[in-house]
Amino acid sequence: MSRYVLQRLLNAIPILIGITIISFAIIHMAPGSPLSAFMEDPTIKTADKENMVRTYGLDQPLYVQYWKWVSGMVTGDFGTSFLKNQPVSDLILDRLPNTLLLTVTSMAISLLIALPLGILCALRVDSRLDRFVSSMTFVGMSVPAFWLGLMLIMFFSVKLGVLPSGGLQTVGGSFSLTDRLQHLVLPLFTIVCGEVAVWTRYVRSSMLEVINQDYMRTGQAKGLRDARVLGVHGLRNALIPLATLFGLSLPGLFAGTLIVETIFSIPGMGRLFTEAAFQRDYPVIFAITTISAFLYVFGSILADISYALLDPRVSYTTKEAKG
Amino acid sequence: MKLRSSRPAAALSALLSAAVLLSACTSGENTTAPPAGEQTPPAAEAKKEKTDGGEIIWAYLSDPQGFSDLWATTTTSSEINDLVTSSLYHYSTKQDLDPDLAVGQPTFSEDKKEMTVKIRTDAKYTDGQPVTADDVVFTYNVALSPDYKGPRKGVFEQLAKVEKVDEATIKFTFKQPFASFIDLMAYNILPKHILGETPVKDMDKAPFIKQPVGSGPYKLEEWKQGQYLRLVRNENYYGGKPAVEKVTVKIIPDANSIMAQLQTGEVNASTVPADNLAVIEQYAKTSGKIKLQKGIKSSTYLYVAWNLTNPLFQDKKVRQALTMAIDRQGIVDGVQEGQGVIVHSQTPPTYWSYTENVPKFPFDAEKAKAMLAEAGWKDSDGDTILDKDGKKFEFEMQVNQGNKVREKAVTVIQQQLKKIGISVQPRVVEGSAFSKNFQSKQFESIFYGWNISGDPNPKGIWHSAEIEHGLNNVTYKNPEVDKLIDEDLQTFDTNKRKELLGKIDALIAEDQPYTFLYSPTTTVAYPANLEGFNPARDSLREVEKWYFTK
Repeated sequence: MSRYVLQRLLNAIPILIGITIISFAIIHMAPGSPLSAFMEDPTIKTADKENMVRTYGLDQPLYVQYWKWVSGMVTGDFGTSFLKNQPVSDLILDRLPNTLLLTVTSMAISLLIALPLGILCALRVDSRLDRFVSSMTFVGMSVPAFWLGLMLIMFFSVKLGVLPSGGLQTVGGSFSLTDRLQHLVLPLFTIVCGEVAVWTRYVRSSMLEVINQDYMRTGQAKGLRDARVLGVHGLRNALIPLATLFGLSLPGLFAGTLIVETIFSIPGMGRLFTEAAFQRDYPVIFAITTISAFLYVFGSILADISYALLDPRVSYTTKEAKG
Repeated sequence: MKLRSSRPAAALSALLSAAVLLSACTSGENTTAPPAGEQTPPAAEAKKEKTDGGEIIWAYLSDPQGFSDLWATTTTSSEINDLVTSSLYHYSTKQDLDPDLAVGQPTFSEDKKEMTVKIRTDAKYTDGQPVTADDVVFTYNVALSPDYKGPRKGVFEQLAKVEKVDEATIKFTFKQPFASFIDLMAYNILPKHILGETPVKDMDKAPFIKQPVGSGPYKLEEWKQGQYLRLVRNENYYGGKPAVEKVTVKIIPDANSIMAQLQTGEVNASTVPADNLAVIEQYAKTSGKIKLQKGIKSSTYLYVAWNLTNPLFQDKKVRQALTMAIDRQGIVDGVQEGQGVIVHSQTPPTYWSYTENVPKFPFDAEKAKAMLAEAGWKDSDGDTILDKDGKKFEFEMQVNQGNKVREKAVTVIQQQLKKIGISVQPRVVEGSAFSKNFQSKQFESIFYGWNISGDPNPKGIWHSAEIEHGLNNVTYKNPEVDKLIDEDLQTFDTNKRKELLGKIDALIAEDQPYTFLYSPTTTVAYPANLEGFNPARDSLREVEKWYFTK
């Protein structure tokens, strides 16, 4: 097992290097530059622009820029944002807690709702409940977050005036849990709506696959209680494909939810990244893409490992490999 | 002259389709306001009692960049900076100099190379230290330092040195007479007693930039990046204690969310984008909580630039005909909800140097057709597209992505030009790439806008010396315009300048290197019981003069 993990980790190294090269190349190939914003200002003379190019290090050959960036990153130095003039790591550490608050909480709530709901639907497949939930999940998946978010603001903030329409806390107020929760209700609801729908469908379909397996029938036949059959034999197996999905959603937790962050004016990673992308703030773009890529690779390794823990048929020890 | 590309709609909102948002807002509004009978917005005629205190909650789409004009480049930054810090002068709404720390207008030596500015002696930083000539000299010497690498170095190019004459007098020495000196006068004065020990090269990262100590009407209490800035009045402000006690500036990256908060009262004053105007007007009427100041002129103008190196656009007659074929009032009414005034040349209507006395090319499709025929453009092969020497009159028009108003305007222009037999292919280009295309002259025609502030001398955009590195991206060459621009740069008499700048405007209008379209007017929503605001301003500037009434 540990050998397998080590192998996977070693394999990840060339993948990560590849990703950094590709993302570096793509960003530099994209038209425009961090200086585009200054190009239209005649009070900024040519000498000033050259000055900025030098300060940003953009006058050096691409491989030098790449090497500087990579070697900086390895030592934990992500560079300084061109436009905000602050270390990128500060910017990320400033925004990340807000994003995690949103993404992790909404993921937890979504799973808490989706797991029982999906199982219930699988158990009563084609029942009225199942059909109702199915149609609701389609609605949930189809409603765009920016529309839902605005409708929620219009209804709960503008019309009823019961919830704040944006931000993370009342301006100038000291931190209080009720205040924070009030600010979180609408954005979380917006995210959860979409996520519950997706996860419910996953849980339902993977439970359905398991439910008609022979071992389930065996379990019932030998007189085990339904709960035990479902909980131990059923759920455990149904969770296996979900583990993959969960592992792969790790980078999403980090990268944030641009649209919700924008509509509800929450300063998170999604907003940081888009602002940087629009203004070609290279150091910020690189840092976020690389960390996301790293989390993606890491998440898929984690998913594979969890396979072994959840599914006795899967073993990564070479000796006992069963094909 | 300080120019900014005028792309007010935040790129972010681009992602969220404006049309859908608008309908969302509208439907929300319908449910919001139970028709409360015909309630006119509270009239302001009667003299109302001024109250002390109150709070203004304003919103910007993005954070300011920090509290030094030497390193900041956005309008948001300079507006917030003006609340907290002082400069020698502020720009008036007509873009001339309003004394702030300075007393009276600058005076010049006989050879115009030396300029003397007197400052008031009663100004104090909020930490109690006086603002002195030393601080002014210190600030300008930061700009002149070889270690200063900020984006404004070029502005100070003509300045040789800045010295203190006495505690209240500063002498500026220029390398040569420089009539655009007003561009140097609105930089905020940095406190020497705080930043004096900081090396210039590290100054943009000094704590001061985020936690300023100023001498302006307000002081910064708290700045939560990406969320809000909290300001309270400076009790000892030399201009008199402001009536409004608190100014809160929220950072809300989506214009539709700002409009929602305006209706919940979470924001109580804001500019109102044209596409939200109907909804907000309705809200003002039914709620009685806010009132609107409409039709505020701006120093922005929009245009279609013709690339003069392209054979299609080299004939002046053709360019004039193109302008006449475009129904500009129709565009203002159709895509800008009527919120704009037509412009005919390159000086924005707010400027002291603005003149109406220029050649005009009003909408007249028939005459445009006739002028094109004179220039040799006829539909000889019967495909409804004009042609000349076997070449069709067709070209591409670029517009930047994320600005729905402009994208719509280009579509309207496409339809209008089609009527006289010209085929336009609109192309929507992502913002950063768009700037690059414009700057590197990679366009046939382009829809764009300038936001002009500071001195009106238009060298940066229209002088032939600016074709290579400047902003003369259409490659406009008119020796007479060049001569007038150079002459204006050496002229210190306002009336003489008015005459010179008027001539420049007339020549450029005649040449039509751009089709000058319109200057958008803006709308600001204020609390219904607020008075004292300047109806010609569309920002937080001069908030120290605002007051609530009982």
